[in-house]
Amino acid sequence: MPILELNDLKAGYGKDKTFEGVSDVSFSLDRGDTLAVIGPNGSGKTTLFRAILGSIPHEGELKKEKNIKIGYVPQKIDLERDIPMTAEEFLKLRIHPSEDDEHSPAKVLKMVGLGEEYLSKKIGELSSGELQRILIAWAIIGHPDLLLFDEPTASVDVAGQETVYELLHKLQDEYSLTLALISHDLSVVYKYANKVLCLNKVQICFGSPLDVLTPDELQKLYGGERKLYHHLH
Amino acid sequence: METSLLYTLIAGSAIAAAGGLVGSFALLRRMALVGDALSHVALPGIALGLLLHFNPFIGAFAFLLLGVLIIWAVEHKTKLPVEALVGVVFTLALSVGALLATQEEILEALFGDITKLSRLDFVLAILSSAFIISLVVIYYKKFSLTMMSPDLALSIGYKPHLLELLFLTIFALAVAAGIKFTGALLMGSLIIIPAATARNLAGSMKSYLWLSAFLGVLEAVFGMLAAKYYGLSPGPVFVIFAGIFFFVSVFLKEK
Repeated sequence: MPILELNDLKAGYGKDKTFEGVSDVSFSLDRGDTLAVIGPNGSGKTTLFRAILGSIPHEGELKKEKNIKIGYVPQKIDLERDIPMTAEEFLKLRIHPSEDDEHSPAKVLKMVGLGEEYLSKKIGELSSGELQRILIAWAIIGHPDLLLFDEPTASVDVAGQETVYELLHKLQDEYSLTLALISHDLSVVYKYANKVLCLNKVQICFGSPLDVLTPDELQKLYGGERKLYHHLH
Repeated sequence: METSLLYTLIAGSAIAAAGGLVGSFALLRRMALVGDALSHVALPGIALGLLLHFNPFIGAFAFLLLGVLIIWAVEHKTKLPVEALVGVVFTLALSVGALLATQEEILEALFGDITKLSRLDFVLAILSSAFIISLVVIYYKKFSLTMMSPDLALSIGYKPHLLELLFLTIFALAVAAGIKFTGALLMGSLIIIPAATARNLAGSMKSYLWLSAFLGVLEAVFGMLAAKYYGLSPGPVFVIFAGIFFFVSVFLKEK
């Protein structure tokens, strides 16, 4: 049984779900899959994630495995810079006292490549790359079955990117984790994803990267936007 | 009949502690201005209470509840900017309240007078403060996360919209409880200023929450004693103390 199954999903903001919306999305994910969601800016990738999380209403079918635990790493969180919360306190918002100490704040920080000195740092004072690692650590704490990454490495430096993907890979092997990540980097898609979903307001393609990422499909996905871009100038 | 100073101090401190805690979460949610203006909604409720001879606390709380429901609904069900609505509805409420009450009543409703505390007022202040503090402690994690990032809260199964509504209700209760103390006009500042001061000084959430509550109590006690000594109204004196503390904290932060 798939861990996540979408049939003719339509989601978005506003009355008819057209604002920043997506429609006609149908795909399924099995345990251990890595799905890359690609598409131009404003194509509805984040909206799709929000619909899966349940934070915006949808039409059509959205079936999640019973008792599924979803981890979510947002692209960024809109923090006030002077918020007086330490990384440790932030991570502890996620931890229930009864939970194992395999995922203590110090240990999850280590998993994302941050030292213990980060425990006492204020999260508002971290760089965006550091904050993103904290967000990844936060998601890992909950032992998720499905991990949604909104552009996981958008603000992590190149040396860091390697580690983040390796980390994801390792987690996937250890916990048969299912990953869904938004990425603009096609080399990442080829290297790590076994399924790819192309999105531009509607679903353009879905399948294994080697099958569906043909020059024609990519032209269809990104080509339109480029033309529009030229017209504007 | 004047209540003894001790009762006044106890009730004022309880309200200030609860207000400080609520304020520290309100600032995470960037609702400093909304919170400040929200307290004005209490005025017509107080006026009705005085007019129809029921406890103004009940009237204030009912109107505040209506106020937070409007904020909540506008935020989640429409695309209207909350700030504009606050500007219109809340000042409207202030005007309605002003028409309903007599001059003297308005002054008391606007600026409060905790020295005229009845036994029932005292009990209400203590009970509502205790209720607010326990809810904030119980919901600490859920509130923090919801105020910081509703998306993250949702991803772990919290219901951010409901938590926001609960928080706003607590906020309304805190304002209603403080009406007697600082009045409808200044109660927002009793909630916001100690938290804003604490945020300048705190290095962690834990110290932030404690400090907000502690500063609220400290400023309230100072305010009440100074007001008593100089024969002034405690509400405005409290706010002036709170303001001084705030500017000192800005200076300390810059250092």
